[in-house]
Amino acid sequence: MEPGAHTATIEAGWGGGAAPFGASWQKTMMWIFIVTDALLFSGLLCGYAFLRQANASPWPDRTEVFSIPFIALMTFILITSSATMGSAVTAARIGDMKKALMYVSMTIVGGAAFLSCQAYEWSHLIHEGARLTGPIAGSELIEKGVTPQFTQAFFVLTGFHGSHVLSGLVILIITAIRTSMGKTPPQGVEMAGLYWHFVDLVWVFIFTLFYLL
Amino acid sequence: MSEHAPGANPYKIYWVTWGILLVITVAMLGAEMFHLPRWFLVLFLLAFMMVKAAMIGGNFMHLRFERSNLAWMVGLGILVTSLILYTFITPESWHVKQSTDHAAPPTAAAPAESTH
Repeated sequence: MEPGAHTATIEAGWGGGAAPFGASWQKTMMWIFIVTDALLFSGLLCGYAFLRQANASPWPDRTEVFSIPFIALMTFILITSSATMGSAVTAARIGDMKKALMYVSMTIVGGAAFLSCQAYEWSHLIHEGARLTGPIAGSELIEKGVTPQFTQAFFVLTGFHGSHVLSGLVILIITAIRTSMGKTPPQGVEMAGLYWHFVDLVWVFIFTLFYLL
Repeated sequence: MSEHAPGANPYKIYWVTWGILLVITVAMLGAEMFHLPRWFLVLFLLAFMMVKAAMIGGNFMHLRFERSNLAWMVGLGILVTSLILYTFITPESWHVKQSTDHAAPPTAAAPAESTH
């Protein structure tokens, strides 16, 4: 078969052409990255499910270990930062880069606030005796029924998520600086936005499956 | 496909979604306070978790406005893979729990009779 005919056969069968998803290569690659990253969290959450289901003692009452209103505040901050990020993407798309920069800056503030809350939550729990290997001997967490499986799930899930928030924050800061210099195309803001929304999406699952369920 | 009708406020979709997400979050927190049957609470929380995920994916990440094959690849791809993983690990976790429950106290540990 001629090479040209072979290409034509593939084109006819697949029909996607150069853009099978009707999106730019940047967006397609970003989505592929998001799918792989989502599978990482899927694996972590399934690992948590295993630990919890296999745990011989009852799973600790989250309301005794954490301040749920505080976790709700963190959720509120992240949802709000997602809305400001969406607004930044729209502002960039319609060419209002000044407004885009304002919304990106607001998102950065939200992200930093979320990370600060997480740092506080971690330090509070560590101060109470929680470690990655389990609660330390004599810790009041043991009286609350906290097991090594619980602290492992907590530190790994929120740690991975927090590191994603941190990297998202770095991306947003770079985007803001470049936008202020007039160097970020609208699509650059959109890619940063996709990643930030993904971070919010992961939190929805962690918040429900780890803190509420 | 365009995500904004001409003349419409292009920012509205984000703030409406934000409001709905907030209401759902409050409803989920509120459900925890009532002494609902466990199975109902689990179903309620899982259903609203999926609604929230769909709203973030659809409205914030614009999946609603992308070509449908992208939305299917992302949504179904992640969901089905996760369900397969969970389905396979669950019986093993029950097995581990059962063997822990039936295990003799460490001080009187008997040698294991069966091996895998």
